[in-house]
Amino acid sequence: MIAAYGLSKFFPIRGALRSTISLKAVDDVGLKIQNEQVVGLVGESGSGKSTVGRCLIRLLNPTDGEILFDIPDSELVEYERARADVETKRVDAIADRFSLLRASSAELQSLRRLANIVFQDPYSSLNPRMRLADIISEPMLSTRFCSRAEAAIRSRELLREVGLPEFFEDRYPHELSGGQRQRVAIARAISTNPKLLILDEPTSALDVSVQAQILNLLRGLQEKHGISMLLITHNIAVVAYLAEYVYVMYAGKIMEWGEKQKVLRDPQHPYTKALMSSVPVIGETMTRTILRGDPPNLVNPPIACRFHPRCPVAFDVCGWTAEEVAEDLEYLLGGKYYGTFGDGVRVTTEGERTLTIQGTADAQRIRELAGLENQEVRSLKSVQAIDVSDGATVLRLYEPVEPEMYPTPDGRQVKCLLFRPEVSAPAADS
Amino acid sequence: METIKEEKGRFDEWKLSARVFFANRTAVAGLVIFLLFVGDAIIVEVAPGLVGVQYPDSVVPPLFSITHPECVNQAPEPPSFDHPFGTTEYGVPGEGCLDVLQLVMKAIRIDLAISLFVVLVGAAVGTVIGVVSAYIGRLLDEAMMRITDVFFSVPFLILALALSFVLGRTVLNMAYALIIIWWPLYARYGRSLTLSTKEATYIEAAKAAGSGRLKIMFKHIFPNVVPPVLVQISLDVGTVVGIFATLAFIGVIPNALVPELGALANIGLNLAPLGYWWTVIVPGGTITLFSLAVNLMGDGLRDVIDPRRRS
Amino acid sequence: MAFGTSSTRGDGASVADALVIRDLHVQFHTRRGVYKALNGVNLRLRRGEVLGIAGESGCGKTTMGLAVMALLPRNASFPQGQIIFDNKDLMNLPREYWERVGDRFNPKQNERILRRVSKAMGRIRGVRISMVFQEPMTSLNPVLSVGFQIAEAIYVHDPASLAHRVLARTRATASQMPELLAILGTARDDEAAVKEFAAKHDLLGIEDQVLSVWRRDDVHISRKEKAIRLLAGQQIRPVERNIVETVARAGSIPPRFSRVPVLSRVVRRVLLKEGYRKARELLTSLGIPHAERVLKMYPHELSGGMRQRVVIAIALVNNPEVIIMDEPTSAVDVTVQAQILELVKRIRTSVSAAFLVISHDLAVLAEVSDRIAIMYAGRIVEVAPTDKILRNPLHPYTQLLISAIPTLEGKPVEGIKGEVPDMRALPAGCAFHPRCPFAFEKCLEIIPIDLPHDRDQLVACWLYEAK
Repeated sequence: MIAAYGLSKFFPIRGALRSTISLKAVDDVGLKIQNEQVVGLVGESGSGKSTVGRCLIRLLNPTDGEILFDIPDSELVEYERARADVETKRVDAIADRFSLLRASSAELQSLRRLANIVFQDPYSSLNPRMRLADIISEPMLSTRFCSRAEAAIRSRELLREVGLPEFFEDRYPHELSGGQRQRVAIARAISTNPKLLILDEPTSALDVSVQAQILNLLRGLQEKHGISMLLITHNIAVVAYLAEYVYVMYAGKIMEWGEKQKVLRDPQHPYTKALMSSVPVIGETMTRTILRGDPPNLVNPPIACRFHPRCPVAFDVCGWTAEEVAEDLEYLLGGKYYGTFGDGVRVTTEGERTLTIQGTADAQRIRELAGLENQEVRSLKSVQAIDVSDGATVLRLYEPVEPEMYPTPDGRQVKCLLFRPEVSAPAADS
Repeated sequence: METIKEEKGRFDEWKLSARVFFANRTAVAGLVIFLLFVGDAIIVEVAPGLVGVQYPDSVVPPLFSITHPECVNQAPEPPSFDHPFGTTEYGVPGEGCLDVLQLVMKAIRIDLAISLFVVLVGAAVGTVIGVVSAYIGRLLDEAMMRITDVFFSVPFLILALALSFVLGRTVLNMAYALIIIWWPLYARYGRSLTLSTKEATYIEAAKAAGSGRLKIMFKHIFPNVVPPVLVQISLDVGTVVGIFATLAFIGVIPNALVPELGALANIGLNLAPLGYWWTVIVPGGTITLFSLAVNLMGDGLRDVIDPRRRS
Repeated sequence: MAFGTSSTRGDGASVADALVIRDLHVQFHTRRGVYKALNGVNLRLRRGEVLGIAGESGCGKTTMGLAVMALLPRNASFPQGQIIFDNKDLMNLPREYWERVGDRFNPKQNERILRRVSKAMGRIRGVRISMVFQEPMTSLNPVLSVGFQIAEAIYVHDPASLAHRVLARTRATASQMPELLAILGTARDDEAAVKEFAAKHDLLGIEDQVLSVWRRDDVHISRKEKAIRLLAGQQIRPVERNIVETVARAGSIPPRFSRVPVLSRVVRRVLLKEGYRKARELLTSLGIPHAERVLKMYPHELSGGMRQRVVIAIALVNNPEVIIMDEPTSAVDVTVQAQILELVKRIRTSVSAAFLVISHDLAVLAEVSDRIAIMYAGRIVEVAPTDKILRNPLHPYTQLLISAIPTLEGKPVEGIKGEVPDMRALPAGCAFHPRCPFAFEKCLEIIPIDLPHDRDQLVACWLYEAK
């Protein structure tokens, strides 16, 4: 139905002197939605999930990547093969026919019939100065789906379909409750019989009792019309209710995807694990993985795996920089190991991969420390070698490895170096 | 049953607007005064004879000294039953039996017309430019901002003076000059309103629906920009009357045969030291009263469109 | 369970109650009509418990929190009700006001009442009852550093405690500290030991400082010992010492100080500096890494989770008896929510306050609360211990609410038909009857009373009358 490859969206920072400074909201995201499939995209605020949704229907123009829309499966298979084999000509030939990014504005307008979006906030997504009938008719008229008279009739039908009385057509949005408004937004989105619906946090602004109504409405519409849906939400339970497949996003990257049951029941990526354990569940007390810190700043994201500074199982090549190690070392030397080293040790960094501990030449002790500290502080795992020179201890770090999507035996994909084929996963951590 | 109930709820919005407005006593007073002014202007325009006004477009009726020889060498008279606001003189010194009330009534019509003309044209031009440039953005927006900056950097009174000298010192040319000064204000206002409206999700929804730029601008942005602009217009009508009167007062209209509040006050200013105070107080007070009334009314209207005041 | 033994509702407030709300009504007078936000709330918050308040938006749960804090806007009126704290009725409404306010809203009289209630609250708000808001930025001043705001909160409400802290450090001698360390090393209850030691050696005010260092588990013992030793024998200028001693004796800043600019400046400088110290201890004890750095930051520089922790720190700063948390985790992400919930669970064991946690998310409340009260249309419809209300909800609304929550298993969810009632024109009888699948004639006419079901479960529903 729709497939995205290497999708990236960088927002330039206003006022930045160099244009290279940008907010990397979405970075190299791949996504696929099959016909009549409901796919969930979960992530925390700022993970870029809404940006992905907006890029997919070109409300935003992605910085990089390719989006193929309404493409038959056979062509898609061919495209992926060509892409893998770097057959540029073949790739271009298929992309020319199906790419959303190469569509002219006239083509785009007719494509708008086939895809639409429902936004989070039903209070600002409806123009307060338009009647509901006009709101619902807008996509039909703008994409020349049907005539004005037909649109009027159809908007009444749609009102009924989403569970609102027909006489609402003359109402204005402010006369409606939040749940009713969201029904109108859904009616608008399905008015041109789209094949794809992006649902951007469709129930986050609603109360649970209303949320349940809307979820059931969406499920009913999906079953009746066979619409493919991308459900973007931070609420994992909502994904559990509607979706078949789940993508998990963190800091602009997809971390894991797979069948809903597998991802939610038995998450593999450390982030997904922590996320799932953070969800409070009624009647269950579970052991939590509490992540330290906050999601990263995407202007200057962590290198290699973006999750590594918070990851409870991060290891040597996950992307540690000398600065990160230095910060942790200072914390340890000044706190827990104060008894061993006392005052007068100072940590300085030299470049990305080297740091020096002034004031101690006791490499053995440092080695012990690095060996011991792997629970709360993970960064010391990246220490490759410890030497002594000029009365100071010099630490050299491993070269980081950028993680890719690695397939697991049970058919999902995980972006974590623990699942790198050549590394035996459990050996990396005790 | 639910239909009926809800229908009632809909009319309530208008009723609520009226209630918010009428809850503001001073705004109602402003409205009443404003309506008096408008009434005066309409009567003078449509049926001047009804209130005994002759020659509504000129201060001194033609051949006045010949038809009214008794006025020659007549000093201005203080307020009396015949002349509630007294009389004043004009043109040749000593022609002192022009009724101030009548002059003011004529002047209100002219001032109101000019002011409405200036503000409505200025607002229309400015708002359209502001909305379009803010919506298109980029270079156009940047250029528009710089152009308005030029206008804002020159003190407006001086700019008005300069423009009216360039265009020629007539009433209509002064109105044009004021429009040229006034549109940048609305361009900026329209721009800021557009920028905030542009961020609303429903604009994004319209894009997703496949609506083109023009459609989004006219169906989504304009309807949301116009109400606050209307309030601004209502406030500006008073300001423009004041500026216009100021310009007339300092003598930008040389041929002072146009009945205009500022020009009337200017004549009065020469007479006031001689003890004829009413010749300046009455036209001056009328300007003040009008500006005040319009401002009060505008405040009331602002309450009406302010969602916080509505609840 | 340890609670549920003392009393049922309706009788007098017992000593076990931190806060009692009795028949509280709150109305908002708007141009669109009278909005009846609270319609007879009865609630008792027991000492040391965490009571969760759940309900959908518009059910009045936030209004209730604000009413207790006397932070309601001008157009709010209290037709009747009592908020009993420390055996005093904070509202103390005059009888004729009760009777009149229902039919005609008199803004002037209402404002007088509001001001009086607010004044009565003045000495309690922020000190003995404090509140954490959903949006942390609303309670933080954007132009002041975090450290200053915490320091100021202590300085304004409890300057004497700061004075005691300063003085204790000057009085402590270098020889006393090893003794204290020795006691700490062997004591089972460090808190009691330090307190005893401080009382014996006239060092009151030093306990917090010692414990905040001693209880850190990420620092080596030798470092802790060094830090504690450094507490002793601090020098202070004699002038300052005199001033600080006066504050400590008076228990507050004497009015004459504020009349003399020099004095007020000295006292402010010394005590605010101490406030920073205390703020640092507090943030460290809340598990905030690099507390020193955080204190120097401005609110906008902090992440959402960090801000919320700072706000919680400010709420804790004066050792309140009641802490009201209004949607403490609704503005943050799940992983940060998990951090905050862990924090709340941890502080409830270390402070003796009672918590009133307001949230729309039953799962969040299930996590932290001892008891949960469900609100609907300005009334509490059911209150019971957490596991009981979740496993065996009695009120139809509670049942439907729980079945509407989607789960990770993706079990079918059931919405509640209809809409939340218009609070300006509530349905007669039970406000839930138009949406209730079990409603019968009585529900349409008479507002249900709270019916006790078991000893510790109350439900306002006529279905349970027979029992």
